[in-house]
Amino acid sequence: MKNEFLENWHSQLRKGLLPLYVLHILDQKQCYGYELIQDIKAVFSVDVAEGTLYPLLIRLMKEELLTHQWVEQPSGIPRKYYAISAVGKSNLAEMKAYTNLIITKING
Amino acid sequence: MKSITLENKSAQRIYNDYIHRCKKAVKILPQNDQQDCLLEINSHIFEYLSAEKGDDQTEALLNVLARLGPPEEMLKELVATKKVEQAKRTFNPVHLLEAIFLNLSNGFIYIILFFLFVIEISLPVLIVLELIYPERIGFFTNKHGGFYLGYGPEESGSREWLGNAVIPFMLVMIAVIYAFMILLLRITKTTKKILQ
Repeated sequence: MKNEFLENWHSQLRKGLLPLYVLHILDQKQCYGYELIQDIKAVFSVDVAEGTLYPLLIRLMKEELLTHQWVEQPSGIPRKYYAISAVGKSNLAEMKAYTNLIITKING
Repeated sequence: MKSITLENKSAQRIYNDYIHRCKKAVKILPQNDQQDCLLEINSHIFEYLSAEKGDDQTEALLNVLARLGPPEEMLKELVATKKVEQAKRTFNPVHLLEAIFLNLSNGFIYIILFFLFVIEISLPVLIVLELIYPERIGFFTNKHGGFYLGYGPEESGSREWLGNAVIPFMLVMIAVIYAFMILLLRITKTTKKILQ
């Protein structure tokens, strides 16, 4: 049974790891918003709220870690595809290295 | 923007109302930012409804709208950020004022900017007053060592320093304060970048 402390810690961690999840998924393929939410759920078992994801995407775009492109669809409702930039890739590599370092240390 | 057509009439009304609220929430932004934002919300609703086809359409629509949240709340951060970008880009005082108001709760710097804006709009008023009461407007010092800029009293021992240069001085002040405000906005962004 999880106590309150653990639950808080877990939610903080999830929040902190979200940029890593987003960059990791976009490193595999470009995605539109809804797809990204589904992929994060499938890979990391985390259900990100739209109200959390979209502001994060805006911040990552502002920091130039992501790029975007509107792609027309047969439905007439285009999709906004997000892709990782070169800056994003190098940041992702550092984030992964750091996460791995922590894991190695705690497994000591 | 192409609207989504829904089979259920009530669902269509809920959708239309939601999009209408989104449009209102982003109205203050430049046209292309408005368009981009509305297209993305519309696309998200469409993709969600296409993926959750099995469910009742109204139910699915209500679910996705609940996930998105009320437009006014969901778009608050975006609108404030985009407005600052516009103010920095255009040098337009109206956008600057809107950016300051939208961000008043986002840090002390915006309160400083607000006061600078008040000073900024009072300077043209002084220029008009200078045309009406040339002797009473200027930079004054009195015999006690005090000094101030603005509308001066008819006090013995006070001296006005600017003379005919009052209007050019005010114009320069307006430009300097404005440039300083834009600079503050730009610095705010950079410091945030470093902290993140």
